[in-house]
Amino acid sequence: MRYQPDRLDLTLLALIALAFATMALTGAAHGLPLANGTVLAIAAIKGRRILLDYLDLRTAPPIWRGLITAWLMLIVGFAWSVSAVSVLLS
Amino acid sequence: MSIADCEQEEAGWGVFEGLPGDPMMWVLVFSELVAFGLFLGAFIVAHAVKPAIFASGQTSLDATLAGYNTIVLVTSGWAAAKGVASARANARRHARLWLLLAMVLGGSFVTIKFFEYAHEIGSGIGLETSMFFTLYFLLTGFHLLHVCLGIIILAVVCSQADPVHVETGTIFWHMVDLVWIVMFPIVYLVR
Repeated sequence: MRYQPDRLDLTLLALIALAFATMALTGAAHGLPLANGTVLAIAAIKGRRILLDYLDLRTAPPIWRGLITAWLMLIVGFAWSVSAVSVLLS
Repeated sequence: MSIADCEQEEAGWGVFEGLPGDPMMWVLVFSELVAFGLFLGAFIVAHAVKPAIFASGQTSLDATLAGYNTIVLVTSGWAAAKGVASARANARRHARLWLLLAMVLGGSFVTIKFFEYAHEIGSGIGLETSMFFTLYFLLTGFHLLHVCLGIIILAVVCSQADPVHVETGTIFWHMVDLVWIVMFPIVYLVR
């Protein structure tokens, strides 16, 4: 009988692929707003997959899904905007 | 059944209705997310204030090893989520095996992190080396403490493999996972 991968398996594969993408960017142009933005955007995508599939909030009331997504976006957005302003001012 | 129990049964969990696991775990998770959010916010602001110190500190860290640790932790989260699916299907033996795998991978994360700390301390880096390393050790150490607590919670819910208990225990584990996903680029990569 062939093993049919489920949503959790696909999420794991996506998370591992994104982790390798982040590691590949580690040696790339550090300090550029685009490089910072890319690694933070990847973190946001990974975080969203964790809250939807691992935390199982896909079918939860939208308010809870929205609250944790807002926490995620707030931190990632704050990190990117502060780093971008610092680079532009330096 | 007492009056309070009857009232609880009629009212349900109110705004927490529809969330997996015990609502009290969600209260803990939300308070932890606020605490980690404030801590990360302080790290980001300190980085902007002292960019040279932070850039120098980041070059002393092993981002590749931390990247591999990300893979270990997300794989552990996957095993824990598989454990929930098995517990819900009443396959308790499978649930226990998945949770055991999640704990072993969690233990691997702790081992790798201690190896990383040992390497840094061996290079003469300490809590008082610079503002970067003070915040680095406090932030990652606070997270590591949560990983250890998460492993203990998984061990507690593993013995019975009751679906609600497994759901509740793994919520904490996934919160630890989510925090690391955000912490890794902010501490190691963003310049």
